[in-house]
Amino acid sequence: MIYFDNAATTFPKPLAVKQAAFVAVNKYGGNPGRGGHKISMAVAEQVFNTRKSIGDFFGAQPENVVFTQNCTYALNLAIKGIMQDGGHIIISSLEHNSVARPVYALSKKNCSFSIAEVESDDEKTVWNFEKLIKSDTKAIACTIASNVTGHIMPYKKIALLCKKHNICFIADGAQACGVLNLKMSDGFNFLCTAGHKGLYGTTGTGVLISDGSYQLKTIIEGGTGATSVELEQTPFLPEMLESGTVNTVGIISLGAGINYIKSTGLNKIFSHEQSLCKLFIDKISNIEGIIIYRNERCSYVPIVSFNLGGFTSFELSSFLDKAGFALRAGMHCAPLAHKTYGTIETGMVRFAPSSFNNSKEVIMLANTIKKISKTS
Amino acid sequence: MFNSNYYKTIIALTSITYAIKAKNLLNSAGYYCEIQRTPKGLSKGCGYSIVVKNDINLILSILASENITVKDYCPL
Repeated sequence: MIYFDNAATTFPKPLAVKQAAFVAVNKYGGNPGRGGHKISMAVAEQVFNTRKSIGDFFGAQPENVVFTQNCTYALNLAIKGIMQDGGHIIISSLEHNSVARPVYALSKKNCSFSIAEVESDDEKTVWNFEKLIKSDTKAIACTIASNVTGHIMPYKKIALLCKKHNICFIADGAQACGVLNLKMSDGFNFLCTAGHKGLYGTTGTGVLISDGSYQLKTIIEGGTGATSVELEQTPFLPEMLESGTVNTVGIISLGAGINYIKSTGLNKIFSHEQSLCKLFIDKISNIEGIIIYRNERCSYVPIVSFNLGGFTSFELSSFLDKAGFALRAGMHCAPLAHKTYGTIETGMVRFAPSSFNNSKEVIMLANTIKKISKTS
Repeated sequence: MFNSNYYKTIIALTSITYAIKAKNLLNSAGYYCEIQRTPKGLSKGCGYSIVVKNDINLILSILASENITVKDYCPL
C-alpha cells in the first residue's frame, strides 16, 4: 500500500519517532508533575524537553506550549477560551469543522460569527475580513492553509489586521506546521496544530501555542499538579490548560518528530513534497476528465486535490484503494471549503505526500488514475 | 538577609514546568540547581522547588529575567 493521506496523519513515522515511543513506554512510565520520585521527574523532564523543542521551533517560550489531544482540542481551547463571555468572531470560508463547529456552537449561546469569503486575490480576502469587523469583534480564527486544497491564506496580513483592530488572532496550523516556516512573531496570538501530521508525532497529540498576550478562560478544569490546595483552577500556562495526565508517550514521540524535521530541514521537506506535487500535476493534467483544484494566482502547501469525470470522489478513491493507494475522498470535514469550491455535492480526492514518498510512487499513482479514466 | 553563599537555599516555584525551566537555565549558566518537592511550610499544596547554592539575589535576578515567578524562598 502506498500512502498519500498524510494531510490526515503522516505515515510512516520516522524511525526516531518509533524508537522514542518505544523508549517512552518502557522507560518513562511515571506521571509527570505529580510526584517527586525519580521516575516522575524523569518523564517530566522529557515532557519539558518537547515543550522547549516546540517553543524553539515556533519562537515561543516553553511554558506557552500547551499539549492537547489534537488540533481540534487546541482550537476549542483557544476559541472558547477567548469567546466565553460573548462577542463576535470571524472565520474564513475555508475552515475545517474544527474551527467552524466550535464557533457555530458558541453562536447558539452568547456569540455571533461571520464568514469571510476567501478569494484568489489575497488583498480581497483581507478586505473581506476587515469589512466584517464590528465593535464587539474579539477574534479572527482561521486556517493558515486549507486542508481541502492546500491554499495558503494571507496569514501575515490577517495578523496585521488583527493587531490594527486589537483583536485576537487564532490560527489553525494543522496543514502548515512542518512545511511552512511559521513563527509566533508572524503575528499569531494562538497557533494551534496537530502533532500527528507534519510534525510526525504519533496520533493523540496536538499543541496550542500562545504568544502570551491573551489570557484564556478554561473549558476543562481538574488536577494539574500545581496550586493543588486551591479549588480554583491553576491560573497560569501550561498547566492551566493541561488538566489530567498528559499523553507522555505521544509527547515524547512528538519531540522526536520535531527533531526529525530540524535535522532533515524544513525547507528540504517542503521542496521535496512540492516537487512531488508538481510531478503529480504534470502527470495527470492531460488525463481526459481530470479536474485539479488549483489556481495559478494562489500558493499551496503540498496538497493536490482533484476529481475525475464520470466518478464520484468516493468511487475514485475506492478504485485507488483497491489498486494499492491510500488517498482521502469526500468532504475532509470541511463543508465550508467545499461550498467555496463548488464541490459540496461531489467532494474531492486529496493527494498529500510526506517526506517519505518518492517520485516513483507518484508516477505509479498517476498511471493508475490514467487507467481508471479509460474505464469510465 | 542571610548569606546564601554559606547555605543552600530552597526556592518554591509555581509548577514543575517552571522548576525544570529554572534548573536548565541555572545549570546551563554553570550554577548548581536541583529540583525537589516544596516542603510543608514554604508553600501550600504539592508544588516544586529548586535548591541552589549561589548568591540568592543573583539567582533571583536570573529567574526574574526569564519571567519565572518565585513563590517564596528560605535557607535549607
